[in-house]
Amino acid sequence: MSYRTGDFDGASAFDDGVSLLITGPSTVTTEGLLDAVAPDDGERAVLITMNTGPKTIVKELERRGADRDQIGIIDCTNAETDVEGVPVRRLNSPGDLTGISLEFAKLLGQNDDESVRARVGVASVSTALMYTEPRTMFRFLHVFTARIRSGEMFGVFSLDPTMHDEKAYNTIRSVFDCEAEMTADDVSLSGTGYE
Amino acid sequence: MADGDDQPTVLVVEDERALIELYVRWLENDFEVLTAEGGEAALEQFGEDVDVVLLDRLMPGMSGDEVLEAIRAQTSDCKVAMVTAVEPDFDVIDMGFDDYLTKPIEREELLETIDRLLSRSEFDSIEQELYALSSKQAALRASKPKEELDENEEFAELQARIDELQADLDTTLPEMGDDEFVAMVRDIEADDSGGESPDSEGGDQ
Repeated sequence: MSYRTGDFDGASAFDDGVSLLITGPSTVTTEGLLDAVAPDDGERAVLITMNTGPKTIVKELERRGADRDQIGIIDCTNAETDVEGVPVRRLNSPGDLTGISLEFAKLLGQNDDESVRARVGVASVSTALMYTEPRTMFRFLHVFTARIRSGEMFGVFSLDPTMHDEKAYNTIRSVFDCEAEMTADDVSLSGTGYE
Repeated sequence: MADGDDQPTVLVVEDERALIELYVRWLENDFEVLTAEGGEAALEQFGEDVDVVLLDRLMPGMSGDEVLEAIRAQTSDCKVAMVTAVEPDFDVIDMGFDDYLTKPIEREELLETIDRLLSRSEFDSIEQELYALSSKQAALRASKPKEELDENEEFAELQARIDELQADLDTTLPEMGDDEFVAMVRDIEADDSGGESPDSEGGDQ
C-alpha cells in the first residue's frame, strides 16, 4: 500500500514507511507539509507542531478534507488553545524529545487495532534545532524515522535550510528517504520511496 | 573483562537462588553470565563488560531501583531489563530501565528480551558512527565544489560506508514498538545531556 498525496513534482503517492523532508522557506514548506499529511479515509494524521497553533492546523487540515476524529496534535507552541473534538497534547518545549515520543506513542496507542494507517507531520525540524544539539536531533530523527518505517506510517518533516549552516543541513537531510525542495512556485523531489 | 570470546555478558541480579540457577541454565549457552544474589553484590560485579542486566526489582536490602540508579550514574551504555511482580504502566519508561519482564519469566521471553536489548545497543553504536561520518561528509560538501568531490576518493569511500551503515541500521531493528521507541529517545537525550540530571533545571525553555 501507499499514501496518496497531491502532486509533488510528478509524484502522487509515497510508499509505506517512507519519511519525506520538505525544505524551503517556512511559509511554503508548512503548506506543503499540510498537503502531504492531510489524511485519506481510514487514515489518521498526527501533527507535532512547533511553529503553527493547533487551531490553524485543524482548520487547514479540514480545508484539505480531514475530519476532526482523524487528527491528533502534539503542541509545542505554548498556544494554550483547545480544539473541540481533537486530542491536543501540550509540551513546554520543542526540545523535549522524550515528551514528544511519549505523547506520540499515546496518541497512536489510542487505537487498539494493530495496523493504524497514519501520517506524521513535524513542523518544523528547524524550530526543534533551536532547542537541541544537531547531534541529538540527528539521532532522534533516526529513531523516529525507524519507528515510522516499522509502523508503515508516512513521515513528513519540514526544514528551512537558510536557518542552519550548510554542514548541519547536509547532515540532517541524510536521515530521510526523500526530499522535496520547495520555492514559492516550484517543487523538486529527489530520493526514493515515491511514485 | 578480557574479550577472550565474543559472547555478550549478562548480569543476573535476583535474591532467589533457585531462580538464578534457572536463568543461568537458560542463558549460559549464548552468553557470558555473571550472577549476584542482591543489590550490593550486583554493584561489585558490575563493570564496563556488562552488556545487559537482568534486575529483580523487589529484593531485601538494596532494591532494584537503587541498583538501577547506581548503574545509570556510571554508564548509559548498558541495557537494563527490570523484573517486576506486576506489569508496570507505560509511563514508567521515564524511570530509566530499558525493558521489563513480569514474573514468572519464560525461557523464550527472556532470550527474546535480551536479544532485543542487544540489537538496541547495536543500533546505538551504528547510529553514532553514522553521525560522525555524515557530519564529516557534510563538512566536505560545504567546503569543496561538487565536481571536485565526484573525483575525490575519500568522499566516495565515505559514501560507501554510510550506505552500508544505513542498510545495517534498517535491518537491526525491523520491528520497533512504541515503548521501545520512547525508551530509545530517552536514552539519546540522557546520553547527549552529558551527565546532567534531566530534572535539575525545570522546563522553563
